[in-house]
Amino acid sequence: MTAGLLRPASAAGTGRAARWWLAGFTILGLALPPLLPERHLATFVLFALTATVTVGVSLLMGYAGQVSLGQAAFYAIGAYAAGLLAVHGVPSLLGLLLAPVIAAVAAVLLGAPLLRLRGHHLAFATLAVQLILLSLLAQADWAGGAIGLQGIPRLTILGYELREDLGYAYAASLVLALAVLIARNVIVSRAGRALRAAATSETAAAASGVPIGRYRLAVFALSAAMAGLAGGVYAYYLGYLSPGSFPVLLSIEFVVMAVVGGLGTITGPVAGAAVVIVLVQVLNTLATRPGMPGYAPAVLSYAVYAVVLILCVLYLPKGLVPALRRATRATAPDRRQS
Amino acid sequence: MTVRLAVGGVSRAFGGVYAVRDVSLTVAPGELRAIIGPNGAGKSTLFALIGGQLATHHGSVTLDGARVERLPAHRRARLGVGVVFQGARIFHGLTALENVMVGAHATTRAGFLSAALRLPAHHREERAIRERALTCLDRAGIADWAHRPAEELPLGQQRALQLARALCARPRLLLLDEPASGLRAAEREHLAGLITALRAEGLTILLVEHDVAFVMRLADRITVLDLGRVIADGSPAEIRENPRVIEAYLGPSFVRSPHGAS
Ligand SMILES: Nc1ncnc2c1ncn2[C@@H]1O[C@H](COP(=O)(O)OP(=O)(O)OP(=O)(O)O)[C@@H](O)[C@H]1O
Ligand SMILES: [Mg+2]
Repeated sequence: MTAGLLRPASAAGTGRAARWWLAGFTILGLALPPLLPERHLATFVLFALTATVTVGVSLLMGYAGQVSLGQAAFYAIGAYAAGLLAVHGVPSLLGLLLAPVIAAVAAVLLGAPLLRLRGHHLAFATLAVQLILLSLLAQADWAGGAIGLQGIPRLTILGYELREDLGYAYAASLVLALAVLIARNVIVSRAGRALRAAATSETAAAASGVPIGRYRLAVFALSAAMAGLAGGVYAYYLGYLSPGSFPVLLSIEFVVMAVVGGLGTITGPVAGAAVVIVLVQVLNTLATRPGMPGYAPAVLSYAVYAVVLILCVLYLPKGLVPALRRATRATAPDRRQS
Repeated sequence: MTVRLAVGGVSRAFGGVYAVRDVSLTVAPGELRAIIGPNGAGKSTLFALIGGQLATHHGSVTLDGARVERLPAHRRARLGVGVVFQGARIFHGLTALENVMVGAHATTRAGFLSAALRLPAHHREERAIRERALTCLDRAGIADWAHRPAEELPLGQQRALQLARALCARPRLLLLDEPASGLRAAEREHLAGLITALRAEGLTILLVEHDVAFVMRLADRITVLDLGRVIADGSPAEIRENPRVIEAYLGPSFVRSPHGAS
């Protein structure tokens, strides 16, 4: 599947249009949470954190031409890092700042050997990394083992403790905005150009002086840092972590969201995450209706990923955001890109 | 005499068959050296050994006195080796301008961190890269295409784009592999003019080209390859009269009408 999905990315849409999208999302991220009923607030937090990880996955897949089927491993590393630090008395804000750093360091250590692999091989290797991490975590008594790490204190920022979901909704929004902003800045920069170039011709990129291996490792680390940061918020938000919170399905979810939203776009992962989360939520509500079998929620959420991915590959091969962009361009008078 | 490039007895085989065998040559700074020879003679392979796209099996490559044959391609680019590949190896999905901006990679610095944080130094460098790239596009005669996706350019313009990208790195040694093939007469003239200008600026150029008239007009010196070996080396006049070259490559018709080669 990877060959068809990994189309060369374009910088189109990283200019003025992207700035408007970014502004729109920021306003939405700030205005939406207080309007949401309590039970949807949890979904919103989940959405923003998932979208943050997906921004990293999209960067990796869409711009660096690499697939990670183990991104939840870095989400877990960030979460456990923040959780363990907090449990051992490290100030929670410091823990939150260290979570992405630790995830990135893990990515560099793992990436050095892994990134020699390409396409499917890399995808399977990252999947294996996650499975290994999960079984290690389940046996690590110092991390709570299979039962999980409990009693993680809440996030405290400048003496203000975030107790309500609303606070976490803002924290998650902020983290997402940061990830989107960084992704955008990187893509339009010298480093981003080099990555996009290397995704279409490694030979020519190397001949232009791009150290491709180092750059791929850097993106891998950056995407891991985004996952780690989201994981940190997740740890403080739930106050409890277990290996079961980071199933392989979650890694697949990130990839599906990135593909559905549109690889090689900045806002795609956010749109993809929103669509998939809303769908899963709606189906969950259906599946937990009286009369439905107990396995219905699980089956349906698996089905969502499969169906959404298939529909997307068939009808929106470039993803939602590029399709929308084309639709709006078709109706609006042609504007020259700059 | 100083030497810009010294190739010392390099060999490279593919599956036991030598594509380049024991080739040696030295190129002085500012020289325009043509490499000619029949199809499959090993010209592109020799370029790949100099540029670092392929590893040598034997021999040395020395750039301004420094051995480079073990360095990866991106390190050689940073030392000043610019490459225009045979065929169009352009970056799809990037605009023509962005393609050329990638060319500046070897001589610029901003990394992920300064980009992510939008440091002022990053903006300054970005502006400088853009200006330099626009100049190079202009020199290559494709300034009008700057904001078009590179893959939408016609083949001739894609060729020019590769050249602009290589120039954007301000190389010390430029490898041109059949830059004129597929170009129309006017484009070919523009290219000849540009190569002459670059040479006048002191750039050292290695040129592989099948258009013998084009080569004879531009080159200071010509090296002839056949079956991976150097069979002749000399001034255009000497090469034109060399019986081995006539037999292996130029053919008897060339002697009869020296300016009528394909
Ligand atoms: N990657 C490769 N794998 C196997 N054989 C190769 C490879 N590259 C080149 N060769 C072989 O090496 C020989 C020299 O090829 P090369 O491309 O260097 O020739 P050339 O002189 O550039 O020819 P042309 O004028 O057609 O471009 C040819 O026989 C070719 O088939
Ligand atoms: Mg060739």
